[in-house]
Amino acid sequence: MYNNNFRNDYYNYVNNNYNKPLYTEDSNPNNLYDPYQGFIRGNLFPNLYNNYKVNAIDLKPLNEQAKMLTMLDSLNFAVIDINLYLDIYPEDKDMLKLFNQYRNEGNKVLSEYEKKFGPINLNSSANENYPFMWINSPWPWEGGQ
Amino acid sequence: MWKYEKKLEYPINIRKKDLKMAKYLMAQYGGPDSELSACLTYLNQRYSMPDDKGKALLTDIGTEEMAHLEMIAAMIYQLTNNSSINEIKEAGMGGYFTKHDNSLFLSDPEGIPYTTSYISSTGDFITDLESDMAGEQRARATYEHLMDLTNDPDVLGPLSFLREREIIHYQRFKELRNYYLENKIQKNS
Repeated sequence: MYNNNFRNDYYNYVNNNYNKPLYTEDSNPNNLYDPYQGFIRGNLFPNLYNNYKVNAIDLKPLNEQAKMLTMLDSLNFAVIDINLYLDIYPEDKDMLKLFNQYRNEGNKVLSEYEKKFGPINLNSSANENYPFMWINSPWPWEGGQ
Repeated sequence: MWKYEKKLEYPINIRKKDLKMAKYLMAQYGGPDSELSACLTYLNQRYSMPDDKGKALLTDIGTEEMAHLEMIAAMIYQLTNNSSINEIKEAGMGGYFTKHDNSLFLSDPEGIPYTTSYISSTGDFITDLESDMAGEQRARATYEHLMDLTNDPDVLGPLSFLREREIIHYQRFKELRNYYLENKIQKNS
């Protein structure tokens, strides 16, 4: 027997959780999470946020380097998430502006970080140092930060 | 081309060894709905997208999946680092150890090696996007199962992050698919 109730429940569940309304051109980017709040959620768009088991877990950077990396990660994340949005809505001026704001802020933090703690990109000016700093541990997967 | 950034998309700093959890995480490293499958699928399908929006989205999501694969690898690495033979045996990873020692290998939790039969491309961009939406949903469900299997906040943080990315990717694929359907975008041949 086909169970209509189950089907309705299922569609309500799916629609409420995963089929949130599409963004429109006039959606207000001020409604986005700030880069850090978005980063710890893995999602900059509050109306798409849907958590499971845990709420957003605050990062607890243990030292100056980890603190600065968290800032860099947050800004880079905001750029990644808005990038995917702009791929589909390239004419959204407000979002483009926000993309470039976070991109610029991220670049500033990046060059400051590389100056203090070593290169993240091969083309960093930190690679002018002798001996070649690129090879220095820790590599990203090694953790312990 | 691609350039390496010497950092993760989201930090992995796991303090407690957990070989069993590492084994389960292999599902997202070399399993059917793994980050590797997502990465290879999108970077392969982008060549048959009909317009610039599609070429951009598949390239950018495919690139992000590569960073997710690296996060999964980092988690497995840290969960198993410096483990003893006894710990390996107790976690049921003796078979894996026999073949690979402590090295990373692209297989699922049962040791089944990765195969490209896990990925697809049909040349029909609507079909491909709908398949990608389903893939994101399967990966999201897998992350929920993985989150059910641990209570370590060092592991739950990154898993929760990765799960949420599946939701965003699903949404963007769906928006692109709907845009193609509503605007009757045709295959350019």
